[in-house]
Amino acid sequence: MLLTIDHLKVQYGKQTALQIESPLVFQEGERIGVIGSNGAGKSTLVKSILGLTDYTGSIRTRLKPEEMAAHMQFNEYVSTMPVKYIMEAMVDTKIKRNKELKELIAFFDFEQCLSKRYTALSGGQKQRFTIIMVMLQNAALTFYDEVTSGLDFETRQKLMEKLGEWYRNKNNTLFIVSHYYEELEQLADKLLILEQGKVVAFGKKEDLFRKFCGNAIFILDNNEDNEKLTRGFSRLKAPGHLIALSCRNPEEEKKLIALLVEYNVNFKRSSSDIEIMSINAKEHFYESQRGGQQS
Amino acid sequence: MKEKKCNLNLVLYEIRNIGGNFFVHFFGIVFPILMSLILTKAVGSQVPEAIRPEVVTSIVISMSLVCPMAIILIGYPANYSQEVEKGVPLRMRLFGYGEKSVILAKVIAHLVFLTIALGIFGIAEVMLIGIQKPVLSSLLCLIGCLYLLAIILFILSHAIANILKKFGPTFAVTMTLYFLTMLICGMMGVSTEQVPKALQVVADTLPMTYICNDFIDFWQGGSYNFGPLIQSFLFLGALSGILLLFASYKNRRVIG
Repeated sequence: MLLTIDHLKVQYGKQTALQIESPLVFQEGERIGVIGSNGAGKSTLVKSILGLTDYTGSIRTRLKPEEMAAHMQFNEYVSTMPVKYIMEAMVDTKIKRNKELKELIAFFDFEQCLSKRYTALSGGQKQRFTIIMVMLQNAALTFYDEVTSGLDFETRQKLMEKLGEWYRNKNNTLFIVSHYYEELEQLADKLLILEQGKVVAFGKKEDLFRKFCGNAIFILDNNEDNEKLTRGFSRLKAPGHLIALSCRNPEEEKKLIALLVEYNVNFKRSSSDIEIMSINAKEHFYESQRGGQQS
Repeated sequence: MKEKKCNLNLVLYEIRNIGGNFFVHFFGIVFPILMSLILTKAVGSQVPEAIRPEVVTSIVISMSLVCPMAIILIGYPANYSQEVEKGVPLRMRLFGYGEKSVILAKVIAHLVFLTIALGIFGIAEVMLIGIQKPVLSSLLCLIGCLYLLAIILFILSHAIANILKKFGPTFAVTMTLYFLTMLICGMMGVSTEQVPKALQVVADTLPMTYICNDFIDFWQGGSYNFGPLIQSFLFLGALSGILLLFASYKNRRVIG
């Protein structure tokens, strides 16, 4: 056991930003993706674990806050010197003597930026600057809080590949907060879904998918013809422009595929779609809350 | 990753951090040299020839106080409050640097920078103005007092920046303290006796008043009652310490 959270409550004034009632246990080596809308309590959770905010309840870990590495949503540095010197001080090394750091700098094409001041870096360069240093720390527990926000698609993809590659076969526990579902599909093996400061669901990606979506889902355009055609199938909550259909077993899948092929309907099949799964998990959460209020 | 202690890279970083701050170059080095040049010319021409060297030396001793006051009381909080505003101390904590290590590196860096500034100031004063030759014990006493004052002002500035947390209010408070201290302690051409009684009481609690007004009396030898000076250092030190404790309590980290 690396970390256990129990009865955690964080309040900002009168507003409850986070309330975790049932214990959450994180094991060594797990890759936990954290999803939630704005204000769901994702960053508050990270800050609580890092001991940066007041809370009630307990967060039990053998790690000291200094033994955790974090890429926060906002990372700022002084602008009184080139970033090269900031980097050398933060990670306490000399770039020319540290092979691993030189490799990271080269991978992120950061050599040309080393002589610039922090304020002169672009948004993406600023992100890469912190990521390089966080990755080099090789901490037992590392947080990446919206690490790719502000980056273009290609850089995001490249960055995620690098993160995956860097941590492959390593036992570091990662806590990845992201709004991009494809990043979590790529990196996370467990998901923590938060909504309005509460836990909607926590578990392995596959288990959560099966719980909220079934064996597989089929996604097609939301139009009148598709709506009529698929009326007999179990429908999941989905973004307005899409229809998501749930299949509980292979027979149901075959039947649906045959129908869609017969009517020449384009579709996407998935057994791991995090977006649809999280939408339905939240729907389930709100239904149970409404049920609780009525009773 | 283990908690990082104060190290050479961190001290070099802090020295560069001070060097990149315009305030310390201007107020900590250029300003005291300019002020002493202007004041020694202006005041020196109005006093009899016989006491001129003593008056000029007295002005230079007073102006030497500007170096630690400007570097630590203005430059440091100007820099550090911006760091606090941007969350840089938090960022450093997340990179494994404990608060004590960072503060120690900042103190060392500021003392190194102060040494450079005092060196430049001393050379400039000797070359451009010419002062009375001190006895070694008096010179060492002045240097010791300047460094002790620097450390106490560092504690005070750090506490103010940590309490106010914003560049604007911090700069306003420290700048006010700086000019008020210069004015009531006799560093701006107005003697302490000339300021209102209430301000005289305040001035009596500050070591700058004694350094500025009394050090000339034993500059070339003689005896001096260090009691009030020591008391003033103790008072300013205690006040700064209390403020720092308050700032630490206000910003304490809570786990569990």
